[in-house]
Amino acid sequence: MLNNRLIIALICGWAVGSRAADAERSVIQITSYMQQPVWDAPWRFESVQRAGGTGFVIKGKRIMTNAHVVSWARQIIVHRYQDPRPYVAEVEFVGHDCDLAVLTVEDKRFFENLEPLDFGELPKVRSAVLTYGYPAGGEEISYTRGVVSRIQLEPYAHIGNRQFLSVQTDAAINPGNSGGPVIQDERVVGVAFQGTPGLENTGFFIPQPVIEHFLKDIADNRYDGFPQAGARVVPLENPAYRTLLKLPDDNIGARVDSLLPIPGSEKLLHPDDVLLRIGQFTVSSDATILYQGNRLSAALAFQFAQHGETVPIEVWRDGCKQELALPLNIYEGDWAGGFQYTSLPRYFVYGGLVFTPLSLDYLRTLGRNAEQSNSDLYYELYYRRYEDPAKARPEPIVLTSVLADAVNANVSTRGRMLVDKINGVRIEKLEDVVRAFQSSTGDYDVIEFLSHHSFECLDHADVAKVNAGILKTYGLSSDRRL
Amino acid sequence: MSNFFFNLDIQLHNSARVAKRLRGAIIVLVFIAITSFSICARAQEDKLAGWERSIVTIEVSRKQYDYYQPWSKRTRRFQKIGTVIGERQILTTADELFERTLIRLQKGGRGRWWLGEVTWLDYHANLALVTVSDENFWRDLKPVSFGSAAKSDGGYQIVRWREGKLENRRAEFSQFTVRDSQLCPLDIVTLEVSSEIQGVGWGEPVVANSKVVGILWAQETRTCMGIPASFIQSIIDAQKKGDYHGLGYFHFFWQPTENPASLARLKVPGEPRGVVVIDVPERSDGGPKVLKPLDVIFRIDGFDLDIQGDYIDPEFGPLLLENLATRKKWAGDDVKMQIWRDGKQLDVTYRLPKFEYTNSLVPAANFDHEPDYLIVGGLVFQPLTESYLTSWGNEWKRRAPFRLNFYRNEPPLKSNPALVLLSQVLPDSYNIGYQEQRYLVVDKVNGQPVHYLPELQAALQNATNGVHVIEFAKGDSLRRMVLAAGDTEHEATARVLKRYGIADGFRFAEAKN
Repeated sequence: MLNNRLIIALICGWAVGSRAADAERSVIQITSYMQQPVWDAPWRFESVQRAGGTGFVIKGKRIMTNAHVVSWARQIIVHRYQDPRPYVAEVEFVGHDCDLAVLTVEDKRFFENLEPLDFGELPKVRSAVLTYGYPAGGEEISYTRGVVSRIQLEPYAHIGNRQFLSVQTDAAINPGNSGGPVIQDERVVGVAFQGTPGLENTGFFIPQPVIEHFLKDIADNRYDGFPQAGARVVPLENPAYRTLLKLPDDNIGARVDSLLPIPGSEKLLHPDDVLLRIGQFTVSSDATILYQGNRLSAALAFQFAQHGETVPIEVWRDGCKQELALPLNIYEGDWAGGFQYTSLPRYFVYGGLVFTPLSLDYLRTLGRNAEQSNSDLYYELYYRRYEDPAKARPEPIVLTSVLADAVNANVSTRGRMLVDKINGVRIEKLEDVVRAFQSSTGDYDVIEFLSHHSFECLDHADVAKVNAGILKTYGLSSDRRL
Repeated sequence: MSNFFFNLDIQLHNSARVAKRLRGAIIVLVFIAITSFSICARAQEDKLAGWERSIVTIEVSRKQYDYYQPWSKRTRRFQKIGTVIGERQILTTADELFERTLIRLQKGGRGRWWLGEVTWLDYHANLALVTVSDENFWRDLKPVSFGSAAKSDGGYQIVRWREGKLENRRAEFSQFTVRDSQLCPLDIVTLEVSSEIQGVGWGEPVVANSKVVGILWAQETRTCMGIPASFIQSIIDAQKKGDYHGLGYFHFFWQPTENPASLARLKVPGEPRGVVVIDVPERSDGGPKVLKPLDVIFRIDGFDLDIQGDYIDPEFGPLLLENLATRKKWAGDDVKMQIWRDGKQLDVTYRLPKFEYTNSLVPAANFDHEPDYLIVGGLVFQPLTESYLTSWGNEWKRRAPFRLNFYRNEPPLKSNPALVLLSQVLPDSYNIGYQEQRYLVVDKVNGQPVHYLPELQAALQNATNGVHVIEFAKGDSLRRMVLAAGDTEHEATARVLKRYGIADGFRFAEAKN
């Protein structure tokens, strides 16, 4: 998806050498016709947008590209190099966390005479790379040479709340064809995917280790995603802390400061455990590991495992070393805190009152200052589960808007309110909203909000009479998507 | 005038022949001259009888703190406007009078400055009275009287000294409304006028019919906000009688009853009216809550409330019910309420609690109180206050760290009455590994809960195993720090203070007011 949220890296280059000229035949131009849902009016869709991207042929008659190139796509058209004929492609697998996708093309002729590109290794810092792509509006492939300037964990903008290994180059950033291959020594070493606002001549690509993880994940015909250890690992450099934990003064070991509520991790790890080794990597006191000559965040060491695998770790606990096997699984607790693509937004409409789960996508509809103007929503989404897990709800529900009708004409709230209870039922998830209204036997439906216990009332019998009419008036085919 | 007489005198000596003829003329001219002088003097007097004799410039010098570096302070000099309202009494707003070190006053927009002093000041109402001890200052000054803005025929003016001249600009009445006071979050009645004048809001009088009907405390584009004269007069009168000890307020939350279904649910008979109480927090003064959630308030002090929470004020017209907590009522006064509770109508008496700045989890202001801090081995601890948050500039509500800002929405609890912050770390070998840490709310130190700096200082006396264990509030940031205690700590603190040029390692100042 090409939008203003992502500064998509379109890294281009010019041909150098015959192999590069061959490679361009396997670079695919992708045109995506996408239609996103409207998160604060969840039954509606935005107008269809055309977006351009790039992909490249990989083994198995597949095209690899970025997830954001094909997200919410209604139709995907792919073109071979200098071939005017359009082919329809389908998404076979998509990893929204790592911003990668593979496409298939039903028409067998598409892959005729196309050689899959092979993958290389993580490039060295200061080494040169060539990026291939179709810049915005261009019909001809373009190339840009760049130098690998930095390798580190970076936030992946497509999902919004995860960090993975990323390579920074000094290639010029041009809006347009994300998903293009980054090539070094005739092999793909990355997939161009994003830039950073304010940083000129800077682009980022997804490196081989992340690509390899994605391809291994889909080998069983299902994409699970990157598992999380759920441990907040912080540097342990202060001599007093190391002495207290009876650690040798060898700059080895970083401390577990806190844990996410992931059962496997919570059971096995404790705050103040010191991670000495994760898998094959020694953990330094600054919470980094040495990976292929790059000093990187120790969080990387957990990102090589697949969902359901265990990682051998060595921890320092109570003054001695312990060998443990840490199970790693995907964590869905922070799902709403990232952008969502896998399913349409859930909602329920009752008496013109629109209820939907709180999510980052919803918050984004509230404008730039949502953090300030709707701070209670922001707190609920990002802080409550850490600070007050007993009161946290699995799926906080928002009264997002009111579809005006005589039955709700005197409801004074216009929406953006977190729902606490409906008819006395504590609302933990959207299904509770449906149940609370449908099981009510009182004369009035009472909707209570979290903000100072304010409330609104609807006449239960009147709502029953007008519900269908409201849906018809506002063009809803159903009162719910659960 | 003297030149004229000199020239005339020369003529008399030069021509004796015309002297006699001129004598009559001289008498006429002298008469004219004296008359002219008299007219001029009277005109000048008339002019001085205007606002020039009632408006003065007040120059305030005060300390200004840098909450990023609470040990440092700067000075600020600022000019505002005062109005002579009585014998040796000059009225202005309290804004910018905190942390004052020197007050000077000037008459006529130019000339000599006179030393002044504040005789009374109230941050709640944003009012202050200033005086000058030198008798000579009061010569030519004339007190003005208050008038009602509501009774004006619409001809308003805003008066101030500007660049040595009296500026008198026309203003149009907009409305009376109820909004947050400038220096505290209490709702008070506000006069809003519209004018082309710029840069006002510093005590300038709004005048109508030769009377002061309000003084200005803020301006947003063309809209100028003022404190109405009747509100000022009522507070000054109460203060003179010793009845005024600060503003009170309603310590509960309510919502309108525009939705008839809400009243029907509560079985309220008759026409829709009143407001529904939705939340009644604990009172910091320990007083009874009186009200309960789902009470419907029909009437306060005899004023009926409509479904939006407005009442009809005899002077100002429709105003929000919050004004009934400050309409000739002060902290500690009783307010009569007629309410609906559990299907019955009741009369209750609500005692107005006093607003205290320190009764918030994040105090709204810290007037006349140097910023508190404590430095331990380079770790800088400070109370979390709005004064600290305003360090992020005019847009601090948007720019300050979200989580720190959000504490302003949380009520103080007995278990959590205030917050201490690790605001920054001044790098030193002692605190290596923690240099990047900042904006962390302290939970416990050496196992002891910490809400105030003295508690933190005391907890630091209880180190075990030769280390301090500092735990921070749950969140998405660092939870725990361990640092050496004892001599290493003390040496580090001394080293940091010297290296960063800080005179004192801590300050817990006492409030002046």
